[in-house]
Amino acid sequence: MNTNLKISNITKIYPGCVANNDVSLEFNSGKIYALLGENGAGKSTLVKILSGVVIPDEGKIYLNKNILKLNSPSDAKKNDIGMVFQHFNLFETLSVFENLIIDSDEQRENLKEKIDTIMKKYNFSVDLDVPVLNLSAGQKQKVEIIRCLIRSPKVLIMDEPTSVLTEQETSELFLSLKKFSEEGILIIYITHKLKEVMQLCDEVAVMRRGKLVSVSQINNENIESLANKMVGQDLKTIKKKKENTSSEQLIKITNLNFTSEDPFETNLVDINFSLNRGECLGIAGISGNGQSELFQVLSGEIISNKNSIEFNKNLIGDLNPQERREYLMAFSPEDRLEQAAIPQMAIFENVALNNFKSSNFFNNGLINESKIKEHSKKIISEFNVNTDNIDLKSQFLSGGNLQKLIIGRELITSPDLLICFNPTWGLDVGAINYIHETLIKINEQNKSIILISTDTDELLKLSDKISVIHRGKLSKIMNAEDVTSEKLGILMGGGN
Amino acid sequence: MIKIVKRDQPSKAIFFFTPVLAIFLTLIAGGIIFYILGFKPIEALKFFFIVPIADKYGFSELLLKATPLCLIAIGLSFCFKSNNWNIGAEGQLTFGAIVSGGVALLFYDQEGLYILPIVILAGAIGGMIYASIPAILKTYFNTNEILVSLMLVYVSKLILDYLVVGPWSNPEGFNFPETRQFSDSARLPLLFEGLRIHAGIFLALAAVIISWFVFYKTYLGFQMKVSGFSLKTAKYAGYKGKKMIILVFLISGACAGLAGVGEITGPIGQLHREVSPDYGFTAIIVAFLGRLHPVGIIFASLVVAITYLGAETAQIFMQIPKYTGQVFQGMILFFLLASDYLLFFKFKFIGSKK
Repeated sequence: MNTNLKISNITKIYPGCVANNDVSLEFNSGKIYALLGENGAGKSTLVKILSGVVIPDEGKIYLNKNILKLNSPSDAKKNDIGMVFQHFNLFETLSVFENLIIDSDEQRENLKEKIDTIMKKYNFSVDLDVPVLNLSAGQKQKVEIIRCLIRSPKVLIMDEPTSVLTEQETSELFLSLKKFSEEGILIIYITHKLKEVMQLCDEVAVMRRGKLVSVSQINNENIESLANKMVGQDLKTIKKKKENTSSEQLIKITNLNFTSEDPFETNLVDINFSLNRGECLGIAGISGNGQSELFQVLSGEIISNKNSIEFNKNLIGDLNPQERREYLMAFSPEDRLEQAAIPQMAIFENVALNNFKSSNFFNNGLINESKIKEHSKKIISEFNVNTDNIDLKSQFLSGGNLQKLIIGRELITSPDLLICFNPTWGLDVGAINYIHETLIKINEQNKSIILISTDTDELLKLSDKISVIHRGKLSKIMNAEDVTSEKLGILMGGGN
Repeated sequence: MIKIVKRDQPSKAIFFFTPVLAIFLTLIAGGIIFYILGFKPIEALKFFFIVPIADKYGFSELLLKATPLCLIAIGLSFCFKSNNWNIGAEGQLTFGAIVSGGVALLFYDQEGLYILPIVILAGAIGGMIYASIPAILKTYFNTNEILVSLMLVYVSKLILDYLVVGPWSNPEGFNFPETRQFSDSARLPLLFEGLRIHAGIFLALAAVIISWFVFYKTYLGFQMKVSGFSLKTAKYAGYKGKKMIILVFLISGACAGLAGVGEITGPIGQLHREVSPDYGFTAIIVAFLGRLHPVGIIFASLVVAITYLGAETAQIFMQIPKYTGQVFQGMILFFLLASDYLLFFKFKFIGSKK
């Protein structure tokens, strides 16, 4: 029984972003296919289209030459397409068996028999009567896989399945996947990890910025060639002119560690780096490798050991963000709408979030509204925020204008160091250029920047030094001139 | 044809209009219920909403009932605006009443101007202590404040029960479940001869003004507002989010405790089993009907207070159980939540083409 899945000319446009641009692919059973790409390359959208979660604007899907209408996830299930998402969809407090029976229409006994057969066949050992919350991530994933197998799927899609697994669990998973493939299940494996593609897959499709870049046999590829395709070679040439960087050290991080209690967070291991005045340090990496934790540790949202951060010859590791601002640090977090600003509050109120003692926004505990408003007007005119109404709720600003407001709020006090995290994420080209120019300008004023970004293009354009974060560890700090996109791609994927 | 369309932005006018609409719909629904019960709707509603406040005494009673509702709702507005769902104000009221009552009993045979302030302060502290339990459990142990604060209501009522029949019961009281009468110095003064309205109303008015000032004019209020919208932003700005949570609970507990003081040192003058006809729960409705705004809460507390009075008049003149009052309170909340739909959606009338 052969399965042939074909997608032709799929296009999906979101406001301000083409997620999938005329993507056509063909898959045949018996092989394991890798879908490779950076964050935001359009992999997830494509997968969501295949599992019925997202409906494409254009294009068709064929299963064994028959046209497939996927209007909802249940359509995908009916058509024997199984899907294991990155984050598990299990009820933690219910037992494994209860989780499996919920969306099954089989009799209790039949189902039990079926599950037993599956577990024996693939050598899975999961206790069916244990509540899911007691299982390890690997076991939870097995439950998800069993849930798909119960329906004897023709196609099994795995979305970044190893992001929560240990090495051991990963190799077990690979064995199972190879076995499924031998039995005729068509497997599509979504990932940004190059090593895994080389280990597991037969064919690889690379996506970048919503477009399909290449489809090739794995035998014709190696890690370097894939990294090149994934990151894109055309981007590495643009670089900032290196000027007046001084040798005066501004910030030094020594043996910084962070261990999280939350299993979805990444631990930071032995972070060490230093940065001079007027320099921009770019930190690359695929999202979820500890960037958000690193930002929080640097901004003081997560407080660490006092001695681990030395800024301007002061030890500030144990200070909170407000206290760090007094030492002339500024922060622009990744999440504009949920962290850097409050959409339901007026522009001038959002400006007051960055509050120095010397700014006099609050005198003796009272709000000094006229002072804040005056300051807000200054930001709006200096940073080209396209509005003249500072009483406007900030939710009515476009993403670009909101980001200008945030960057402006952080920079107008002329801090010595700006730490920003994905400052141009989701913005249009004009706003991106403006932000980039602004960042270059403050470097030229002998101020420093730590730029944490998942956009390699941006990093290569703005950074003087570059490091890559992978699983909470920073790579060696490299001079940006010596870095190629190829090298970055390998480091981001965990290679050497 | 009518089509429902999502609004681009919540309408400010509708924001203040829906409470009025909710009250209007409640009146209509109330009229229908009275009709089904065999009363003339208009007349019944008149008994319910107009007769009780038609004279001086009635108006004093209205203010008397509105006072605790307003006070508690003001406190709750701090919690609700910052997304802390304290629904145990009834327990904080009861515990405040217990503490202030206990203090008042210490002075039962003494007179002096110093007594009343101590009694009032004790009530506020009692409410704060009781509200700090769900707050601390929430911030340090991630418990759900809704469950904890609600269950503590029943705990406080049982404590009160135990005290008034046991250790604190009046030795000369023939085993009635009540304490001694407080001394006059521990009582909130009455404002007018022959009317029950007492100085507690000034506490409520002070709370309204202070809360408006704190929330809209101070840095503390700004921090509470930010923490309520997003703890992540509060953390980023460097505010102490956990402290803010505990603080709003304390404010809310203090207000509820003061309401308890008002009840026992005002009209009642002693502790007994039922210090409050569920003011603490009804105040939740008041807080939302008043849109969590100090001025809105004043109006809302007056409207809801009528339902208490109306229920009593209706019981006397129409032989309807006084629990009808709760039916009306429930309907107000129901219609308010339902008409809040209009905040985010609007009806569009599309003319049919022929």
